[in-house]
Amino acid sequence: MTGTARQIVDATIMAYRSTFRELGVILAFVVLFPVGFLFFLGLIVRPQLQTQVLVGSMMMEMALLNVNVLAQTIGNDKRSKLWELWVSLPVRPTVYVVSNALTLLPFSLLATVVTLGLGAVYFGITLSSLALLFLVPAFLVIWASTLGIGFLIGVYGGPPRRINTIAQFVGIVMTFFAPIFYPLSALPTVLQYVAGIWPLTWGELLLVDLIRGALAEAGIAAAVLGGFTVVWFVLIGAGLRWRET
Amino acid sequence: MSSPTLELGREPLLRVADLTKVYHSKGPTRSDLVANDRLTLEVRAGEVVALLGPNGAGKSTFLRQLAGQLLPSSGSIHVAGIDLVADPLRAKRFLSVIPQESEPIENLTAEEHVRYFGLIKGIPRRDSRRLTDEYLATVGLTEHRGKLVRELSGGLKRRVLIAVALASPTARLLLLDEPTTGLDPEARRSVWATVDSLRSRGIAIVLTTHYIEEAEHLADRVLVIDHGRFVAQGTPQSIIRASEASGHLDVYGVERADPNARAMLSELSSRWSVRFRRPDHWRFDVADPFAAATVQELERLTTAGLRAALAPVSLEDAYLALVGSGGNGG
Repeated sequence: MTGTARQIVDATIMAYRSTFRELGVILAFVVLFPVGFLFFLGLIVRPQLQTQVLVGSMMMEMALLNVNVLAQTIGNDKRSKLWELWVSLPVRPTVYVVSNALTLLPFSLLATVVTLGLGAVYFGITLSSLALLFLVPAFLVIWASTLGIGFLIGVYGGPPRRINTIAQFVGIVMTFFAPIFYPLSALPTVLQYVAGIWPLTWGELLLVDLIRGALAEAGIAAAVLGGFTVVWFVLIGAGLRWRET
Repeated sequence: MSSPTLELGREPLLRVADLTKVYHSKGPTRSDLVANDRLTLEVRAGEVVALLGPNGAGKSTFLRQLAGQLLPSSGSIHVAGIDLVADPLRAKRFLSVIPQESEPIENLTAEEHVRYFGLIKGIPRRDSRRLTDEYLATVGLTEHRGKLVRELSGGLKRRVLIAVALASPTARLLLLDEPTTGLDPEARRSVWATVDSLRSRGIAIVLTTHYIEEAEHLADRVLVIDHGRFVAQGTPQSIIRASEASGHLDVYGVERADPNARAMLSELSSRWSVRFRRPDHWRFDVADPFAAATVQELERLTTAGLRAALAPVSLEDAYLALVGSGGNGG
């Protein structure tokens, strides 16, 4: 194991110890909110949009909440000056970002799988065994491809209060203006191109294609998400604003 | 800092040369602020250096550059001979930082902080438990090791951060930004005792403070910074000697003084400058508080029924003479 990987492991264990002491709040936040969304929207939408509602709820767990939590964690660390402590440590920014992101991952993953199961039963959606095989890797690539958004908000967002405001604003924008609770085709053509710059759009396409069993299209979406992930990690690894100028 | 005894090297642990930090204004005036102006400093093992200065003088900017948090505009910083700007990851292995008003993670225990930050900084897993015990003992946290940080007092939280700073296999330089701000006197004394014990182990410490008493108590060397420049540096005594500050003569019981004593005070105020006049307490500036003439005046005042006391020039007097009593207001 390299030095950086070992640092990530130790930083993640440290973060888990802290997180486990707030398990009730975390579970309520990560599980109840999106599952509640699933059942509420399931009641009010037309049957042909039910798959989309399921995808949207899963995207909320794997992407939106993670973006929000990562940004707010950085904001809180800036408030308590832990951020400055981290910057002065002999570690790459990747260690800090990945350990914070990993802290919520098991809960998000579990919640997403639970949502998938509940949604499939609730809406009567049948999943092929191939789709089931690829869904967990798909969740992971969606998670990884959106981490950079949380990191950018946290690092560039300025003072903690502004970070929280931006994180919430971006969360709302991504929930309602990225095509995750409705199909991409529902957007005007121009906005469909604009939506292409969001990793969330590709995440939605990936999950919808997997549930439909369209593996080739899903592969393209996964590759784009992989590209987003590489770009974020190159930026984070390069020490993007780790030191102020 | 893994070993209690360190080799006291001849090379400075910290070498800062012509360090300058300019903040470029984005406002309509576009005026630049020179927060640090060609600052030069060397710090050796076992030395405690205190930076004193009013708000906005450039103390924290200086320390944040030394901590690798802020890029200098020009100049150089070498930690253990390694260029901090060019090779921050390697240079940061030799320094530890406690940022101003920082707080530990409230859901972790003191022990977890020290153990995990130590591992992250490269302490070998096999030594982790033993060294964690040692660092906790060094800062007097052994009996609080299992408590969550949110259950600890402000002083104990600060000690957790000091233990975290110590938990490194290589760090020899500790940067403390206002380590006792907001602490009660007892907690402050306890942090001082910890700093003293670290000095005796060969750790070099650079700290900023607003408390003159703290600088006087802890520092081998004091640097007074004002408007981004070092305006004085040396031991507290050498700064006092070099300053143009005055000692003072305090006179109490003025309100109840008889006419004769009042006349004496009035006559004295025509010869000596009066620092302040309160209803019951006057303070005169005196160049040499222990000169025979001054002592004679003190005896006259005492005979006239007033209480009077002479005080030599303090570091606070010297500091105020250097930076002015108003500070920079920021």
